[in-house]
Amino acid sequence: MEVIAAYGTILIALAVIFGLYMTWGIGANDLANAMGTSVGAGAVTVKQAIGIAIVFEFAGAVIAGGNVTKTIRKGIIDPTNIIATPEILVYGMLAALLAAAVWLMIASSRGWPVSTTHSIVGALIGFAVVGIGPDAVNWGKVGKIVASWVISPVIGGTIAFLLVMSTRKLIFNTENPLKNAKRYAPFYIFLVGFVISLVTLFKGLKHLNVELTGPQSFGLAICIGLLASALGWFFIRKVKEDPEADRDFHFASVEKVFTPMMLFTACAMAFAHGSNDVANGIGPLAAVISIVTSGGEVMQSSKMPIWILFVGGTGIVLGLVTLGYKVMLTVGTKITELTPSRGFCAELAAASTVVLASRTGLPVSTTHILVGAVLGVGLARGIGALDLRVILNIIVSWIVTLPAGAIMAMVFFFFLKGVFG
Amino acid sequence: MVAMSTNPLAGLLRKSPFKPIQEHMRTVFSCVMLLPALFDALYRNEQKEVGELARQIADLESEADRIKSTYRQNMPNTLLLPVDRKDLLSLIHEQDSVADGVEKISQILTNRYMTVPDAIKPGLDELLEGTMEIITQAKSMIEELDELVHVGFSGREHDKVTGMIAGVRKSEHNIDKILKNVNRTLFSIEKELEPVSVMFWYKIIEEVGDLSDHAENMADRLLLFLSK
Repeated sequence: MEVIAAYGTILIALAVIFGLYMTWGIGANDLANAMGTSVGAGAVTVKQAIGIAIVFEFAGAVIAGGNVTKTIRKGIIDPTNIIATPEILVYGMLAALLAAAVWLMIASSRGWPVSTTHSIVGALIGFAVVGIGPDAVNWGKVGKIVASWVISPVIGGTIAFLLVMSTRKLIFNTENPLKNAKRYAPFYIFLVGFVISLVTLFKGLKHLNVELTGPQSFGLAICIGLLASALGWFFIRKVKEDPEADRDFHFASVEKVFTPMMLFTACAMAFAHGSNDVANGIGPLAAVISIVTSGGEVMQSSKMPIWILFVGGTGIVLGLVTLGYKVMLTVGTKITELTPSRGFCAELAAASTVVLASRTGLPVSTTHILVGAVLGVGLARGIGALDLRVILNIIVSWIVTLPAGAIMAMVFFFFLKGVFG
Repeated sequence: MVAMSTNPLAGLLRKSPFKPIQEHMRTVFSCVMLLPALFDALYRNEQKEVGELARQIADLESEADRIKSTYRQNMPNTLLLPVDRKDLLSLIHEQDSVADGVEKISQILTNRYMTVPDAIKPGLDELLEGTMEIITQAKSMIEELDELVHVGFSGREHDKVTGMIAGVRKSEHNIDKILKNVNRTLFSIEKELEPVSVMFWYKIIEEVGDLSDHAENMADRLLLFLSK
């Protein structure tokens, strides 16, 4: 208790710095993966992508990010055994944050496909095992989270598969694909707004003091969907047939209809990313602040102050502006094989899956779900070639990331414990 | 540990395997389209022009070879493709055989000083015309590949390409008939010609006929894509 009273301010400052570092890493790498598809398809410029990211990352984090933050903050570790020594949990959270951020930076600089989510979960477990004891880990919850890492890409892939099939049935495989593309495009855009907002709003937003009944949230989601599709129609109606491009590739004009549609999925991806991945950085930060400001209350019953979300958002935007835009450009130029119609299906599937996971409080990997969604498009015989070695690499990265995050968290934990006593 | 140091999405999405096949086919097509000019120069006894055309054919053939080997090197068996990888490799092989055949013909015509017997000229012209037609059909069929991928090898595109495949088969059948006639004509005048030349004329006619067989094999491979 004395430690917290004596060093409270320093601990909070450290937590903010580490939190900024972690979210900076997420913004520099992770977010660029999520939005690179839209940039690559030419739907948005990098500048527009940054603008979209700033607005929708914040919106996602504030409106739909609460549940995942809660899981990271107090769902994985059970601190009942250290009620008398709350500083242990503070060191642990700081160590986990630093470990995940450092691992993320090492891995990204080497180009390994690691996930921020896996790093932070591994780090939290690592600290809990050595800092408190193996019993302090909520293994049931961890099992569910790990299972969701396998299931969520499969769900994303299935949705993407069905979406691709539907575009074929309704648009590509018809007498006049361009006419049908324009006819059904507003419906698909409606789907983006409707699905994302319905999943977010369903059963209300208690943390924002917004109480909604089932029909109310349904109605509001329909309104948001209609608004999106009206806005989309504004862009799409201008698309004209391009006989020059069509001679080379018959569906060139049809794909042009899908390009502005990817603007909406870019927003959805940023929202989804904000609702899930921001929590990785601000969950531990929120835990430290809650413990310190309450004077050593490890059960953290207090509500999370809203300024923490801004720390997270700022970190992500900083990451995006300093490094992320470069990654976004690289990713964008490398994935031109994904045509706008496929990109749209993959992003809509991925964003919906991530928001669904956020709703249930499961920390998942946006990038891996997007990979799953692209695979779903591939299974629909819709993509020239997908290199399945990436799946192996992702599995290897899981196997490496969990222990790497854990070991680093242990080292940092003992270091912090040694410094503060 | 992790062999490939790339972004997972960028690593996942490989270049379309259908684009190089189309590029290869275009090269093969340009190669075949030099055949009528080659025979025309031969009819006119312009050996120098024959040699020049043969050189152009050889250049296009090696260009096709280059595309083919790059293609093979970029087809690891970890790829998830909408069609069988082996069928794709056989398809490009069949296409390449067409260019090889054209080169063989041009080599015979440059290595030996061949005079064309007037009796077989009409048949030869008909054969060349038929060959140009079937290779053009085969090329348009290959040009539909990226559209086919877009609709998952089904529906309208599927029917369209099935029609094209049937067209190639019909042309091949037609060429078989022409071949039979040319060979009979050649047989009827055999005694009047120099024996070694006769042998080579049979060889040339066979090589030209083989071009349409390769085109038909290409159509068969494409049919496999559609029926997967």
